[in-house]
Amino acid sequence: MSRPGKDGGRLAARNRKSPFGAASPDGEPGHTLSVADAVRRCRWIAIDINAAEFALFFASPSLERARLVPCFDALHPAIAPGTRLAAGRGGEAIVRHARTSSLPCWWGNDGATASERAFAALDMAERTEELVPGCPGIAFPVFGERGQCGLIAFWGNEMVLAGDQALDIHARCFSLFAAVSAIRSNELRKLPTISKRELECLKLTANGLTSEQIAASLKLSVHTANQYLTSSAQKLDATNRTHAVAKALRLGLFE
Amino acid sequence: MTSLGEQFGTSTGLAKRLASRGDLSGFLMALCQAIGADSYMLVAVVNDQNRSDVRIVASNWIYDTIQLVGHETVAAIAQCAHAAAPGARPRPITTREAPALAGVLGGEEARLLDVLGHGEIYALRLNVGRQRLFMLLSTEEPGQLDPAELARAQIRCCHALSQVPDLLAATTQQDPLSDRERECLYWVSEGKTTDEVALILGVSSNTVNSYVTHAIQKFSASNRVMAVATAIRSGIF
Repeated sequence: MSRPGKDGGRLAARNRKSPFGAASPDGEPGHTLSVADAVRRCRWIAIDINAAEFALFFASPSLERARLVPCFDALHPAIAPGTRLAAGRGGEAIVRHARTSSLPCWWGNDGATASERAFAALDMAERTEELVPGCPGIAFPVFGERGQCGLIAFWGNEMVLAGDQALDIHARCFSLFAAVSAIRSNELRKLPTISKRELECLKLTANGLTSEQIAASLKLSVHTANQYLTSSAQKLDATNRTHAVAKALRLGLFE
Repeated sequence: MTSLGEQFGTSTGLAKRLASRGDLSGFLMALCQAIGADSYMLVAVVNDQNRSDVRIVASNWIYDTIQLVGHETVAAIAQCAHAAAPGARPRPITTREAPALAGVLGGEEARLLDVLGHGEIYALRLNVGRQRLFMLLSTEEPGQLDPAELARAQIRCCHALSQVPDLLAATTQQDPLSDRERECLYWVSEGKTTDEVALILGVSSNTVNSYVTHAIQKFSASNRVMAVATAIRSGIF
């Protein structure tokens, strides 16, 4: 194993600006913020790269229809015309990209703007179809704790983005999206109050155990195990056992 | 002042696109060098029945170390609360302070890791599209790595690995399903019965059942529910 040099640039590097962003909750998971806070944080990112507008989209979970679902933008709680256009176009290509790749993707038209020159110079970015017509921009794929997938897009003619600034911006986008998707799952979590026992049964079901095996490992009767599974399916508003397990996993009730 | 970006862009030429396994190892070596880490291990975590296992995509750990501490320990490190999502502040696992790590590592494993050159380990979660991987970066001596540089390196890895999806899929086999099988399993996860899925996809019930059965076999799951759970856990949908 080679031993790289341990001095040199690192002390200097330590003094550089932190990528976590002034308002980030210091990487603490579980810290929730309001949508208004999220919009504010997103605006700060936009200011740092001189973007005129920004928007956060969720990628629809359905495999059938790959589309962008707007969450908020610069005009929150209203929706900006640019965001409406982007969502209206569907953004199928960009959603498909985000499902398999974390590379930022950018769009432009004739290459005449400062933004397009900045994007073209980035070594880790891909060009994609136009998302907001008539205005160049860049979208960062982001992912939440529970496998949620989204894109944070910035657009404008005079954007500046160079070198490892793109890494810092992407890191801040990740952190922002994690916070936003936590708000969402907290809202969803209000619905069911599932007991510990029900959760245990669901988890074992997810691991492929049958009712009989669950009953044996939790020292319950088969009837009780089934009862727990039925009641948890009802609480999750699921049509059957498989649906209940899928919903619980997507809500993050267990890993 | 040397920044990660400059080092990648100019001196090491690592801004180049990755295409092969060799490129990947080269990238990871240079990444370690740039931030001052001694070793790397890139893994995917697989949940199987009641235990977690890892598939190692790339690593420069001494092979015996992995044998000695076991895959389950590696999985535990990758999945522990200290593992940082992209954009979160990375927190170290200091194997030298084993008592502080109750629940993450057993004392014996911690001691072994420390002795074998992993005095401090950072677990970083990587997202390559929806696929989730973990990068373990370690140093012999604790306190050598800068969290801000690690966070940048983490995003760098997400970007670089996005260029070699086939390579990752070959190692981790997280999405072995065909389009049709994935579609069927997705509808099953939405609570649809076989007959309903058949109606949605415009095929016969027997065909749906055979797609689902194939999916179950590919995941080596014991039934439908487990196949659905595996698919959700590995981020297929």
